[in-house]
Amino acid sequence: MRTLVLDTSGPFTTVLITEDHQLSTSCILRDRPAEHLHEQIHTSLENLHITPQDLSRIAVVIGPGSWTGLNIGVTAAKTLAQILEIPLMPLYTLDALAASYSKPSWALMNAGRNQCYYARYSTSDSQEMAVGPINAVIQQIHADSNSIHVLEYGDTFKERFAGNDKYLSMDRLLPEALIAAMKTSGSIEGADIKSLTPAYLQPSHVEKDASH
Amino acid sequence: MRILGIDTSCDDTGVAVVQDGHNVLSNVIASQYEAHDRFGGIVPVIAAREHTAKINFVLELALKKAQTSFSDLDAVAVSHHQGLMLSLVVGVSAAKSIALACGIPLIGIHHLEGHIYSNLMGGSDELRFPFLCLTVAGGHTLLLKVIAHGTYELLGHTRDDAAGEVLDKVARHLKLGHPGGAAIEKLAEKGNPNAYDFPRPLINSPDGEFSFSGLKTAVIAAINRDPDLNRADLCASFQQAIIDLLVSKTMRIAQEHQLCQITLAGGVALNTPLRKALQHAAKEHGYETFTPGNDLCMDNGAMVAGAAYFLYQERGSDPLSIGTRANAPLGTTGVRYRHESKYK
Repeated sequence: MRTLVLDTSGPFTTVLITEDHQLSTSCILRDRPAEHLHEQIHTSLENLHITPQDLSRIAVVIGPGSWTGLNIGVTAAKTLAQILEIPLMPLYTLDALAASYSKPSWALMNAGRNQCYYARYSTSDSQEMAVGPINAVIQQIHADSNSIHVLEYGDTFKERFAGNDKYLSMDRLLPEALIAAMKTSGSIEGADIKSLTPAYLQPSHVEKDASH
Repeated sequence: MRILGIDTSCDDTGVAVVQDGHNVLSNVIASQYEAHDRFGGIVPVIAAREHTAKINFVLELALKKAQTSFSDLDAVAVSHHQGLMLSLVVGVSAAKSIALACGIPLIGIHHLEGHIYSNLMGGSDELRFPFLCLTVAGGHTLLLKVIAHGTYELLGHTRDDAAGEVLDKVARHLKLGHPGGAAIEKLAEKGNPNAYDFPRPLINSPDGEFSFSGLKTAVIAAINRDPDLNRADLCASFQQAIIDLLVSKTMRIAQEHQLCQITLAGGVALNTPLRKALQHAAKEHGYETFTPGNDLCMDNGAMVAGAAYFLYQERGSDPLSIGTRANAPLGTTGVRYRHESKYK
């Protein structure tokens, strides 16, 4: 199964094409706005001398992450899947972050305004991703002596975990992380594709301010 | 040539299919009014989220109404310049995916060119270059000389608020609901346009400059002064002030530049008294006026597909790398219709 994998959730725009969970080609750009995404898809297809019609599935990171990046990536993926009439696989940022690490582990990411997105992945069932106050979440992580890794997407909590060798900061979702996440994720089809929205996980700051 | 046009420049998700620049096969607009209403104005992050949630449904509906499939499309056009950045990128991402997956040309359109070309989509050959275009919308009030396809000269614009913006703000102040301009027009029907002597800023200035913020302030002050005022009279007087400003400036510029064909574009072009007043003033000078069909006035995908049909023949298609800009110079001559700082 040939899958086009898109990640526009962070500072890197990643485009991969995989064949049965093996990487066929990749095109990864740093600090380029996600508006270059389609060029990267075009380049990746050209590298393999294939056309969009040769794809059998699209996988896309739906969040949490950069609001605009996710809107661009999810819209691109939904539209491609809609036209090509192929399944779409939504991938979550934190799932991908933790996918290739041993469990139990924590994955987290700064959500701004003293909040962070977090999830604890255990050997049995994964905790749902959530958003919570940074101090409380970090306290909870420090108190969890069973966990093996603390994985951050970005490095804003580096100081908070200074000297803690469980902590790893990652500035992007690596191809192997995305492929590992694909192995445990499901696909959607038809009308579900059109109604897919990014996993923003929280309302916009304007809505938050209004509700206070 | 069958072109799919997308406009996500502000708060409406518009997708349309247009054959040969004239024949509008479908023109679907999904409004986001309810999502923004409680915030007192359009919130860009919410607009972007709504576009992302709706765009694929709007695409499907536009194709279905046009009895067209993706494989029948000859090109895809999208507003990529002028608007809210966070919103523009959503339409552009969808358009690029269509271009890529269908293997068809991508045509980036300046949102204002869409409005200008809404008048050239009627299919008649009566409108000829050069002509004068008055674009009046929520974000714009400008007078352009349309010299040739894609070539414009700026003859006047607003120094502050756009006419549509002022109509919306006053409507909001009166809690008239959406769309504000239409609600004011309806109330004004029963009112006396001479009841209030509202200011008409810059009406006698010799250039094409407009200013509406002083008028807005005066109207809102009148509302605050007397909560029990006659709303119909207020709306009629306010609307008349806007019409006087727009029509007198437009006629002066038309005479000065000897442009005897005048087109009206943008959401405020839906205002019937404005259309009539412009037609009346033009007729007195022996000038002709043109207005687009009602469905082409508000932000929509059809005007984008229409503009693309004509402009594709002039300047070809765009690469998948085209970017988005909130404010971008317009046309081949790079017309700058906003303060210089906006183009950085």
